[in-house]
Amino acid sequence: MEMFLYMDKDSILHKLDPRTKIFIMLISFAIALMFSSLSLLLILSFLVILYGALGKVLSNLKRIRVILIMIAIMSVILWALTYPGTTRLWGPVTKEGIIYGIAIGIKFDVMIIAGMIFLSSTKIEEISLGLVKLGIPYRPAFAFSTAVRLVPMIVSTSYIITQAQKSRGLDLDTGNILQRIRKYIPLLIPVLISVIRQANILAMALESKGFGYSDKRTSYLEIKFEVRDYAFLAVALLILIVAVYFKFKYRL
Amino acid sequence: MTLSDKEIIVKDLTFRYKEQKDRNAIEGINLEVEKGEFIVIMGPSGAGKSTLAQCLNGLIPHFTKGHYSGEVVVRGIKVKETPVSKMAKEIGLVFQDFEAQLFSTNTKLEIAFGPENFGVPREEIEEIIRRVLKIVNLERLEGRPPSTLSGGQKQRLAIGSVLACMPSILCMDEPTTDLDPIGKIGVFNIARKLHEEKELTLIIVEHETEEALNADRIILMEKGKIIKDGKPREVLKEVDLMEKIGLMPLQIPKYFSQVSNLEKADLPLTYEEGVQKFKELGLQIDEGKYQEILRREDEREKRYKDVIIQAKDVEYVYSNGTKALDGINLEIREGEFIALLGHNGSGKTTLAKHFNCLLKPTRGSVIVYGKDTKNSNVYEIGNYVGYAFQNPDHQIFADTVYDEIAFGPRMRGCTEEEVKERVAEALKAVDMEGFEKEDPFALSKGERQRIAVASILAARPKVIILDEPTTGLDYKEQKRMMELVKRLNESGHTIIMITHTMWIVAEYAHKVAVMRDGKIEMYGKVRDVFKEEERLLELSLKPPSIVSLSNRLGKTFLSVEEMVSCTKR
Repeated sequence: MEMFLYMDKDSILHKLDPRTKIFIMLISFAIALMFSSLSLLLILSFLVILYGALGKVLSNLKRIRVILIMIAIMSVILWALTYPGTTRLWGPVTKEGIIYGIAIGIKFDVMIIAGMIFLSSTKIEEISLGLVKLGIPYRPAFAFSTAVRLVPMIVSTSYIITQAQKSRGLDLDTGNILQRIRKYIPLLIPVLISVIRQANILAMALESKGFGYSDKRTSYLEIKFEVRDYAFLAVALLILIVAVYFKFKYRL
Repeated sequence: MTLSDKEIIVKDLTFRYKEQKDRNAIEGINLEVEKGEFIVIMGPSGAGKSTLAQCLNGLIPHFTKGHYSGEVVVRGIKVKETPVSKMAKEIGLVFQDFEAQLFSTNTKLEIAFGPENFGVPREEIEEIIRRVLKIVNLERLEGRPPSTLSGGQKQRLAIGSVLACMPSILCMDEPTTDLDPIGKIGVFNIARKLHEEKELTLIIVEHETEEALNADRIILMEKGKIIKDGKPREVLKEVDLMEKIGLMPLQIPKYFSQVSNLEKADLPLTYEEGVQKFKELGLQIDEGKYQEILRREDEREKRYKDVIIQAKDVEYVYSNGTKALDGINLEIREGEFIALLGHNGSGKTTLAKHFNCLLKPTRGSVIVYGKDTKNSNVYEIGNYVGYAFQNPDHQIFADTVYDEIAFGPRMRGCTEEEVKERVAEALKAVDMEGFEKEDPFALSKGERQRIAVASILAARPKVIILDEPTTGLDYKEQKRMMELVKRLNESGHTIIMITHTMWIVAEYAHKVAVMRDGKIEMYGKVRDVFKEEERLLELSLKPPSIVSLSNRLGKTFLSVEEMVSCTKR
């Protein structure tokens, strides 16, 4: 079981300054939130995927494909039933509703994908260093990056725990919805307890290695803006400006 | 700034955890440590070893609070008045749980973390990383994410990341408890190397009695107090004392104290010394009694019933492409007690998971009670085969012991009456009657482990798989656990046990399969396999010293008791 989202590849994306990647991620969030038009969102997804392909990290999307597909399906069902469209297809379902549902699904998926690309191509230490350089104090920056790290740890612990409880006869596949939810208690409690316990040891290990010794901390990793960072930022900003222009000019 | 030239001075130290009601965790500890000393602290669970270790670097009382009195001075600094992060420059602490103390993306950054905190310039950090990687022998793994390292490598990295802070004292709290034999050797080698350099003061909390021989000094603790403090060659000869407080005594002095009238000072410690002493004393092995033991073993072999688990040419490939099992053929008969030995990554656990259908073979087949596991599932096979996972905390969830054990039967739709009966039966089997209303989380590790076994028993399986059932338990608890497993086997259960502990295999298992790289390298009766000591050593498995001693004398004895019963004075 792979513990980290980060993929150690040799690509231009990995060489970018973490700050650049943070900005690009935020810009893709902003554009995704601005529009609800299917065609524009498709263009955005194309750009984001192209960006991920540059970093050779798209294979990590396999790990969250279930979530991505679920979001898309939920969104289509929800909007198909509730969107006030005019072209009725079947019952309350309208053509406009389905299209709108697809668009909203893509809107959320593209944001998740952009976040995933960022986490797959940036070391945790780079993230906290990037945040520090952006003016965030070290402790909260470290806390944030540790939280990111905790997610895969929880996943791998839950994997073991699920196997242990299945061996004791836990059967997650039968029963009505209430019964099924109750069946997750034997999974949730051991997961919570081991995560709390591990977090406690981590905290002790951190202190024992001098965490918080002084406010002036050096960094073994070095980050600095290079020509490629300016180039990527310029392109991203240009896309943002074009998007904003279209938004106001054509009221999309 | 120096109050004295001693590295550590502990004066009348007493500490009690907030939640602790009945007694102090440590009480009236007095201790002085010289620079360059190598000290091993030993003691049963609950003796206060970890508490003492955490008092040395200030985690107690700064991180963990409680009633604290007395004084700890480390290199002239009063620990109580100094934050842990400042103490880190003087004394480094390594924990038992290596998974939880590593958090960086790769080994270099892990090592860099400490020096970064102390504001060491970049170029110097580079130099420190280079030096530390060499000491902990991870030079070729510098770019690897810690999660891809083996257990032993992870613990070595944890040690390295602490050494990078350049402390004068290194304290390790049970660094090898969770490791396989190879991992243990790696950690001990580092300890020896560091000790030879004489610059570092070394304090290790350890259960492995034999490794303690290399220390300058052993401190025995029991119930929060230091009960013995002396040279290893003196302390390790206290066979009765060690047994009394629940520590595993060395087998060689134990044997000789039972078959001879030797003074404590004259007892041999290692099997090499033992061979010599055996001849000096003119001891002999009673051939008739030895043959009797072999005969009883053959009879036991004949009493096994049908083949109930059968693995045929089993191959298993994980989704990332790793081949974990490579052509496994194994038959297990009803009533057997088989141990699976081998290093982490050798495929033991993967194989065992095939026996209860948690995994299905990529190629080949596994037949359990006549059912091909390919056409079955964990739920169905679970009626025959129970699987107790290594860490009881990965399965305990209920508020009471009763509900915890009742979980399996309830999931299988038993009536509440039947559940009650099964819980009572399971608790009786693990010798924990009367614990029904207790909170499982408040029990000791040994008790939690037994609750975990009871919760498996409640499903009334015929086969019980135990994954490292004794890891993290002290000698007394280990013996208690194994006596329980032995009783289960004698009452008709087939036992499959994964373990690293060689004396447990020797004394309890009937058969053993030794695995390496997904293959079974050795298989047979424990006595026959342990006779081939050289093959075992090639596989980096060291048999217990009583086995080594008897092998040198041309017989193979599996326990001290067995050898004593066959010795002619």
